[in-house]
Amino acid sequence: MKQPAIEIIDVRKKYPDAPFYSLKGVNLTINTQEKYGILGPNGAGKTTLISILCRVLEPSEGNVRYFSGEKEILPPEFQTKLGYVPQEYAFYEELTPIQNLDFFGAMYGVDRKEIRSRALSVLDRIGLSDVAHKKVNSFSGGMKRKVNLAIGIIHNPEVLILDEPTVGVDIQSKISILSFLDELNRSGTTIIYTSHHLDEAQEFCTRIAFLDQGNIVDEGATNELLAKHNASTLKELFITLSGNPIH
Amino acid sequence: MHKLFASIKKDFLVLWNDKIGLALLFIMPIILVFVITIVQDSAYKVVNENRISLLLVNADQDSLSNQFVHNLSTSDFFSVEVNNTLSEDTINKVLIDEGYVLALYIPSDFSKKLRLKTDLVSNYMLKELGLSENQIQDSIENVHLKLFHDPVLQENYSSSIANIVAAFAKSLEGELLINEIGEQVGFKNSAEDLTEAMVNNRVEIDRIAASLSDRDILPNSTQHNVPAWTIFAMFFMVVSLGGKMVRERINGSFIRLKTMPTSFSVILASKLTVYLLVSVLQVILIFSLAKIIFPAIDLPPLIFPDNWLGFSAIVLISGLTAVSYAMVVGTIAKTQEQANGFGAVSIVILASIGGIWVPHFILPDFLQNLSNISPLYWCLKGFYTLFLLNGNWSVLLPIIGGLSAFILCCWIITYYKLKADKIL
Repeated sequence: MKQPAIEIIDVRKKYPDAPFYSLKGVNLTINTQEKYGILGPNGAGKTTLISILCRVLEPSEGNVRYFSGEKEILPPEFQTKLGYVPQEYAFYEELTPIQNLDFFGAMYGVDRKEIRSRALSVLDRIGLSDVAHKKVNSFSGGMKRKVNLAIGIIHNPEVLILDEPTVGVDIQSKISILSFLDELNRSGTTIIYTSHHLDEAQEFCTRIAFLDQGNIVDEGATNELLAKHNASTLKELFITLSGNPIH
Repeated sequence: MHKLFASIKKDFLVLWNDKIGLALLFIMPIILVFVITIVQDSAYKVVNENRISLLLVNADQDSLSNQFVHNLSTSDFFSVEVNNTLSEDTINKVLIDEGYVLALYIPSDFSKKLRLKTDLVSNYMLKELGLSENQIQDSIENVHLKLFHDPVLQENYSSSIANIVAAFAKSLEGELLINEIGEQVGFKNSAEDLTEAMVNNRVEIDRIAASLSDRDILPNSTQHNVPAWTIFAMFFMVVSLGGKMVRERINGSFIRLKTMPTSFSVILASKLTVYLLVSVLQVILIFSLAKIIFPAIDLPPLIFPDNWLGFSAIVLISGLTAVSYAMVVGTIAKTQEQANGFGAVSIVILASIGGIWVPHFILPDFLQNLSNISPLYWCLKGFYTLFLLNGNWSVLLPIIGGLSAFILCCWIITYYKLKADKIL
């Protein structure tokens, strides 16, 4: 039976000096082994919400609970169970993928003897084993996205949070990344991802939440939401919910 | 410890892959130390050891002016080339066209005026002593020599030359005065002996450098420049480390690290370790070259102080100060360009007021007071205490204390800025 992986309880966030709240009371439950999409236009609050889930930011109000079913864990222990893939290429481009994974693996607390074998395995699964020892700054955008992703899963996280993982990559890389995420999900990893590419999200996510101007507009299983609002695509659905075409 | 070692390895690899950064940290300072020391040493030798080329025009041609030319020509200071066909007006052109740096013009009335002057002085003296009834002339025109110089010649250099020429003229004037008085009081036979006795018994100046120990360390261009430019190189790591820290902040690596079960102090400690090691390597490399290579290229060898423990402490505290300053710049700058630009310019300014470029004592008072805020000044003071004064711990400890306070300030600023950026 699926358990709650993350519970977001009435989370509000106001940045210092900002005139309004970026998140205005978000309530969500994301269950284990889901492929959960947090969707919305630019500036909707997706990155803020993800930053709060990763504890990069503290909520101004509200709370986030991790694995609140049988084995709730509290910060900072949750960090070992959580993988985070930011939108930026947050790694060292002058190093090789292996060197990056050695470093970030150690920072995640992976055992020293295991890091290298895990790194090679991850790079093999993600299709970068041929370039494992080449400097990342010579890579294409799609390959860099894969390195970014590889770093987020080096410690075998139970929950993987991705912020726009396919932004700025070609179609082949996008398909490759999404199929890899599918494979990860099938092996038990809960995936939470943000995107403003609704057609991609429709194909990938089992559940979605629409975020607009800091509010959850609607949330549920992708197919159920489409049926509920009599829409054939997420694009149509979002126009119906927000009254604006998504950017 | 595994995390710290992994982070140290990563920082080392990042630095190793930055060849331009490495060149800035190691090649640039070596070139700087060599070039500046050679330049300063040759400037010293030009004034003190080499003969200075001097074009000389004697428009006077009297025995006195000829004696003056002879004295200059046979001195150790000048290599004199006499060309009496030139006029005062043409010297300027020759100086520019034919590449002479210095020319001395002796006017046609030089001997006449010098004799008049010595007459006046001797008469005055003898009248005061009651040995002469001669009428004393009220005043006479000053004796002038004209020293032409290339405008590129630095003022302090041309002043030194003018002083040397003036000293020779003074000596000639002294001899003339003795002869004049000797003749007037009637010891004609012994006038020459008296002159010789006075010339041979000139006051000689023994130069002694102040020292805090019994051991004499001769201050020279090597002892001054090697520590000074090594400190400059240490602080120039702001371009490498500061820039890298800004990039890690901007590309989200620091934020990503915050999502991991690792204290950020591990990240800072590894940077501190790697770059402290870099600064120690800079000292080892530059000081070894100064010790081994300098004598082979006719430069004074570097003399190490007796207090090796104090030397190690000053190297470490200076390195730590440089790394801490670079980290502050790396956390405050918003872009890599800002870190590089501000970092480099700030080091040049702090070096200027800290006595790296020119000796601290020649700075105006307000800049001397301002230099107290320059960490380079305190680092240099530490090195000079050892390398010029051979100083001991009682002198070093206040310097180490001042630098420790600076380091603490840097760490506090770094902490609060990272906290404000939600990285800590």
